[in-house]
Amino acid sequence: MFRNIFAATLLCASSALAVVSYASVTEPVGVDEADPIDTELGLRLPEGFKATIFADKIGRVRHIVAADNGWLYGALARPDKRMGAVAMRDADGDGVAEETVYFAKGLRGTGIGIYDGYLYYGTDVSIIRWKLPDGGAPTEAAELIAHGFAEKRQHAAKTFTFDGKGGLYVNVGAPSNACMEKQRTKGSPGMEPCPILEEYGGIWKFDASKVMQHQIKDGVRYATGIRNAVALDWNESADSLYIVPHGRDQLGEFFPEYFTPEDSAELPSEEFHKVAEGADIGWPYSYYDHRRGARMVMPEYGGDGKTVSDKGQMPLVGFPGHWAPNDLIFPKSTALPEAYHSGAFIGFHGSWNRSPQPQQGYRVAFVPMDAAGNVTGDWITFADGFAGADVIYSPRDAKHRPMGLAEDRAGALYISSLMSDGRIWKITYEGS
Amino acid sequence: MKAASVFCAFSIFVGTAPLFSGALNAKDAKQEPQTEAQRLYEAHCASCHQYDGGGVPMLQPELIGRPRANGAKGGVIDMILFGSATIAPTESDYSNEMPAFSHLTDLEIALIASYVRTHFENEGGPVTSNDVRARRTK
Repeated sequence: MFRNIFAATLLCASSALAVVSYASVTEPVGVDEADPIDTELGLRLPEGFKATIFADKIGRVRHIVAADNGWLYGALARPDKRMGAVAMRDADGDGVAEETVYFAKGLRGTGIGIYDGYLYYGTDVSIIRWKLPDGGAPTEAAELIAHGFAEKRQHAAKTFTFDGKGGLYVNVGAPSNACMEKQRTKGSPGMEPCPILEEYGGIWKFDASKVMQHQIKDGVRYATGIRNAVALDWNESADSLYIVPHGRDQLGEFFPEYFTPEDSAELPSEEFHKVAEGADIGWPYSYYDHRRGARMVMPEYGGDGKTVSDKGQMPLVGFPGHWAPNDLIFPKSTALPEAYHSGAFIGFHGSWNRSPQPQQGYRVAFVPMDAAGNVTGDWITFADGFAGADVIYSPRDAKHRPMGLAEDRAGALYISSLMSDGRIWKITYEGS
Repeated sequence: MKAASVFCAFSIFVGTAPLFSGALNAKDAKQEPQTEAQRLYEAHCASCHQYDGGGVPMLQPELIGRPRANGAKGGVIDMILFGSATIAPTESDYSNEMPAFSHLTDLEIALIASYVRTHFENEGGPVTSNDVRARRTK
C-alpha cells in the first residue's frame, strides 16, 4: 500500500510540474462568478457556451447516453408511464427534442450506455441490453448480460462503462455507510475485515457480449475498497478505468469528539481515482482529507481525524465532502475549445450531508488532464446555478441537481437532472 | 390549547431526561423543554431527514405533513425503534436504510417521536415513554 501512495505522490508531483507547461498553452477558465444565473434556464456556463433545455418534465432521469443514430437515451430511476427509459431526438437541430419515446416497461434503473451496436441498461439487480435501433425505442427483446446482484436498497444503482475491448465494468456499491456492525448507528465499530467487500464495494468486470453472467460465479472483482462509484468511465487515451466514488456520511454525527460540524461538512473528500486492475481504493478503512493532503484512518477503525492511514490509494483530486459525484465522462470530440479536449467532466449531484452547514456542490466540474490520464491543473466549475439559489440548506430546495452527462458525435454535451420532474440541457460552444 | 399540552408533555418527559451533552445542563433543559427534544432530533435525525424535516429526494423521506406522523401513535415509534429494514427495497421510494434506534431510551424515543408528530406541519400529537415501552415489547 505504501508503494501505491508513493507512486501516487510521484504522479501528483509530476502533474504539478506539468501544470507549468500546460498553462502556457491553454487552460479552462470555468464560470465567471460575476455572471448572472438564468434561473429559468437553470444553469450558468463559461463565456462562449450556450445551453438549451433539450427536454423538460421527462421524469427522474439518471444516466444518459447519446447514440450515433441521433437519439439521446436516458435511464429513469423511477418509472414514468410505467416505463424505465426514455429516448429523445432533436430532429430540426434547435437544441430542443421534439420526439420523446418511453420504453423499458416495468423497469427502473440508473446506468445506460452503448457498446458494439447495443444499448445497455442497468437496473439495481441486472445489466441488460437491446440491439440499438436505427432510432427511437429498441424493438427487439432484451438480453440479460449480468445478474445475481443482491437486491439492496442502499447504493444499489448499477452504473457501468466499457473498455472498448469487450470488457464491461459494473459498479457494485456497498450497502453500507462505513461497514459498521450496525447500520449507521453511533458507537457501532467497523467490521474487520469488512465482509461486505466480498460481494460489494467494488467494480466487477464482465464480458460485454456474453449473456447470463452471474456476478459471483462469472464476474471478476476488478477493484475493491469502493463505497459506491456511480460515476465511472473508461479513459480511452489512457486506456484505464476512472471513478469518482461517493465518500462516507455522518463523520460528525457519529464522532463529534473528533469532527466539528465544519469538519463533517468538508470531509471526507470526494475522490477522483485512476483504477488499475486489483486496486484497493481504501473504503471502509481509510478516507482522503484534501485539507491535509493525506489518507486518514476511518474513525470506525480507530481513527481520530488526525491519524494517517497506510491503506488505500491516493486520489488524483480530492473534492470537498458530500458533493455526490454522479457521473464522469472524458470528452472525445474537438468541438469544444482546446482547453476541454483532454480531461474529465464530473457531474456533482450536490450534498445533503453538510447540514447544519449550507449544502454545496450542485455543479459540473472539469479536470484538465493529459493524454496519458494525468491531471495537469486545477479543476474548474464548468456549470453551476442548478440549485436556483445562492444558499441551500435542505436539498429538496435545490431546483435542479446534476445527474448524468453525455457527449454526442458532434461534440455537444448533455447534463441531466432528476429534480423538478426531470430536465436535460444541451450545451454547445458558440464562441470563437 | 394544543400547544400548551404539548409543552406540558415535554416537561413531564424531560423532568427525568438523561442528559448526555455538555451543551445543555439539567437546569437549561428544564427551562427550555422543547430544546431537549429538538436537540435529540438534531443529534440523531437531522443529518438525514434535515433540520427542516425536508428529507432528501429519493434517499431519505421528508417528515413534513406525513401520514405516519399524523396517524396512530405506533407509526413513528416503530420506525425509530426498528428502522426501515422491514420495508422491502422494491416497496420504498427511498434508497437509504434507516437504522434501528432501539439503543435510545424509551424517553428519548418518546421525545423524538413527539417532536416529529408536533412539528413539520404534523398534528399527530405527543407520545409517552409508556407508548414506546409498549411498542418495544409488542
